[in-house]
Amino acid sequence: MLAEWKAAFNRGETMLRFILSRLLMALPTIVLVSITVFALIRFIPGDPAALMLGDMAQPDQIAAMRTELGLDKSMPQQFAIWAGNVLQGDFGRSIVNDEEVLPLVVSRFMVSAEIVVIAVLLASLIAVPAGVIAAWRQNSATDLALVGTATVLLSIPTFWLGLLLLLLFGLKLGWLPVLGYVSIGDNVVGGLLYLVLPVMTLVIHEAGVLIRMARASTLEVLRLDYITHARAKGLSESAVLWRHAFKNAFGPTWTMIGLILGNLLGGIAVIETVFTIPGLGRLMVDSIFARDYPVIQGCLLFVSLSYVLVNLVVDLLYPLFDPRVVAE
Amino acid sequence: MKKLLLAGTALLAMTSITNARDITIAQSSDLRSANPGVNRDGNTDGVILHIVEGLVGYNNSGEVKPLLAKSFETSADGLTYTFKLRTDVKFHNGKTMTAEDVVWNWTRYLKPETKWTCLNDFAKGGAAPVTDVKAADASTVAITLEKPSAVFLGLMSRPECGYTGMISPDSVAADGSFVKPIGTGPFQWDEWKKGEYIHLKKFADYVSPENDGKPDGMVGSKRPLADGIKFMIIPDASTVKAGLESGVLDTAEISPDLIPEFKASDKTQLIVSRNNGKNLFYIQTRDKVLSNPGVRRAMAMALDLDELVAAASNGTGEANGSMVSQDSVYFDEAQKTRLPYDIEAAKKELADAGYKGEPISIIANKRGNVPSFPAAVMAQAMMQQAGLNVQIEVLDYATQVDRRRSGNYQVISQSVAPRLDPALMYSFYVGNKDKNASLMWDDPKAVELMNAAYAEADQEKRQKIFDEFHELMLKEMPGIFLYDMVDVWGATKKLKGQPVWQSNARLWEVSVED
Repeated sequence: MLAEWKAAFNRGETMLRFILSRLLMALPTIVLVSITVFALIRFIPGDPAALMLGDMAQPDQIAAMRTELGLDKSMPQQFAIWAGNVLQGDFGRSIVNDEEVLPLVVSRFMVSAEIVVIAVLLASLIAVPAGVIAAWRQNSATDLALVGTATVLLSIPTFWLGLLLLLLFGLKLGWLPVLGYVSIGDNVVGGLLYLVLPVMTLVIHEAGVLIRMARASTLEVLRLDYITHARAKGLSESAVLWRHAFKNAFGPTWTMIGLILGNLLGGIAVIETVFTIPGLGRLMVDSIFARDYPVIQGCLLFVSLSYVLVNLVVDLLYPLFDPRVVAE
Repeated sequence: MKKLLLAGTALLAMTSITNARDITIAQSSDLRSANPGVNRDGNTDGVILHIVEGLVGYNNSGEVKPLLAKSFETSADGLTYTFKLRTDVKFHNGKTMTAEDVVWNWTRYLKPETKWTCLNDFAKGGAAPVTDVKAADASTVAITLEKPSAVFLGLMSRPECGYTGMISPDSVAADGSFVKPIGTGPFQWDEWKKGEYIHLKKFADYVSPENDGKPDGMVGSKRPLADGIKFMIIPDASTVKAGLESGVLDTAEISPDLIPEFKASDKTQLIVSRNNGKNLFYIQTRDKVLSNPGVRRAMAMALDLDELVAAASNGTGEANGSMVSQDSVYFDEAQKTRLPYDIEAAKKELADAGYKGEPISIIANKRGNVPSFPAAVMAQAMMQQAGLNVQIEVLDYATQVDRRRSGNYQVISQSVAPRLDPALMYSFYVGNKDKNASLMWDDPKAVELMNAAYAEADQEKRQKIFDEFHELMLKEMPGIFLYDMVDVWGATKKLKGQPVWQSNARLWEVSVED
């Protein structure tokens, strides 16, 4: 009993060490991202003070606004001030509407996350079995149909697909709302209805990627000796496929799901623009056009953090599917 | 599945925030701030217009008329403006507006900490420096200026100044921070879901200055016929179109290339309305090549303006080579003159100016609601016929603004928001380039005429100034004015009334049939 506890404790300690090391490894990435974003956005022409004050502003008013926003300081000085504030949890205020950046980014992130998480979950539930079946029936009509569909789906640009769905289900059939957004927190039924089209768009697109991934990794596994051995033992095809092949084949697909999730959480600006969803992607695009430096920086820092965290979680869950992979 | 979705949609309709008789309108970006005249842009002005009113406002022809004032008069020396207030005006909190409220508002606007966009115009050294605002009695306010100004009332009425709107002192917290706009307009502040929508509701106690059902700019009949207005933030033009076709939106600005589709549709209507904004080629008169007026005149003469305008505006615009807008009271015969379309004359001007094919770059942007790019493309083709070596540089809007502000350009295909007084329009282009590099023209005579237009109040004398200015402009051609801006809006067939004025939504005297 004591030995078991000791082993469990050791495993927990190892895991914790792994998490900490991964987070520490992510730190240079985040710092690098922050510096790059900070510098790049300032190298793009366009003065936030001039944009904010509009056509009427005189040069002295613009200069005063630049001083007020701290834009008259050197870039390293500006970065030092911003980074120091961020370390204290202060991401600054939006130049455009004076809102606090952190609550703004978090609230918009939650809107995007709602759509992305549901979409990725649904896409995985559809695409992974489809990919496995395609591999199992390699070179059959089913395989051809699935692979063909997947290729078409992942080739369709999301903005076009979104508009098509909107025109079909919103305008022609009138089944779903054409535009607007209702939070599920405010109205469950309404919120879900507004989510259908953006989620459907993402599911259709991402399912294409995942079907191909699941098929490729399953094919690889199905060629291995232990599968031939399992079949030779007289196991049924479904047992071979789901009990023996699937677990090993799912690993690479799981990594891909993590990457897609991280990527989409970083912004689904096109989908959000088409479906008028006030998410993080739209906030980022609007902020870039308005040269709203604090919001752009806040968004991208948050996105890089979420990317690191999502992939960490994916890595931590990896051993569940492939026991050969352990934290060590 | 279909039944489930239909049931859901019906439930949603029942629980929806939008009242059945609200007008739902799209706008491309969110409100900057609800504080009138502070941190604003065009979309913000459009929302604020419905909530607050100033003592005076522009009418359709650009004249300033009383709004919250019953009347106003100017002292003989032109320094004191006395406003007699209407006594039937209530704020949205039910309190009656008094002269003290007007004094409180002006005092607040003139404090630097309010950060009023127009403070520079009304502060010392500005175009209409205010030295004193006092209440003569409960319904009379006197405003004294440091020097006479012909544009004092016009400046007060500008959207950029938040219409110098009167708000209740209850709009501001005890610590001076702004809470919400409690104005006197036909609609009152209700809800702002950031990034989603702004909702205003009808002000039931609103007393319209007129009741004949005829809106006249910011004055005239202003009855709120709808229960409320929902301004939805929709940046994508295709989504706006789908919203209008589905009836979710009642009205919105649309992309001009949708004109034929909206004309032909049995579900929607097309609304085309000219405003006082300007589309022009903004020329850098200090550029090595373009500093020669001959080259600038040649550029103007190479343009078949009617053809260019028809193409760039999808047939909605009308050529106007003047800085004065066609709907202004100052747009007379003299303002209609423009340089002729004459390729041979253009070639001769270029030869006389010693032009040897040096490249000329037109900066353009591809924003959907302005003709910057199509106008540049048309001009390039026409100017090349005269031997001008014209190239187009496409930039995003922020970069374009930066280039204009720094003076780093040759030609910009630019649109300028409406300014109803020609003198105010001049101020966008004319002045000392050493002090303000964004200005287009620093000819001393032009500056002198603009200053005269700022000071002269008499309409006839102003007309002479504007005509002289136009004559000088045709000679020097510091910029090529193409046509007055045109608002192209779509609406459902159920919408009754004119929902747009001077590029802003104006939704009083507008209703939606159930």
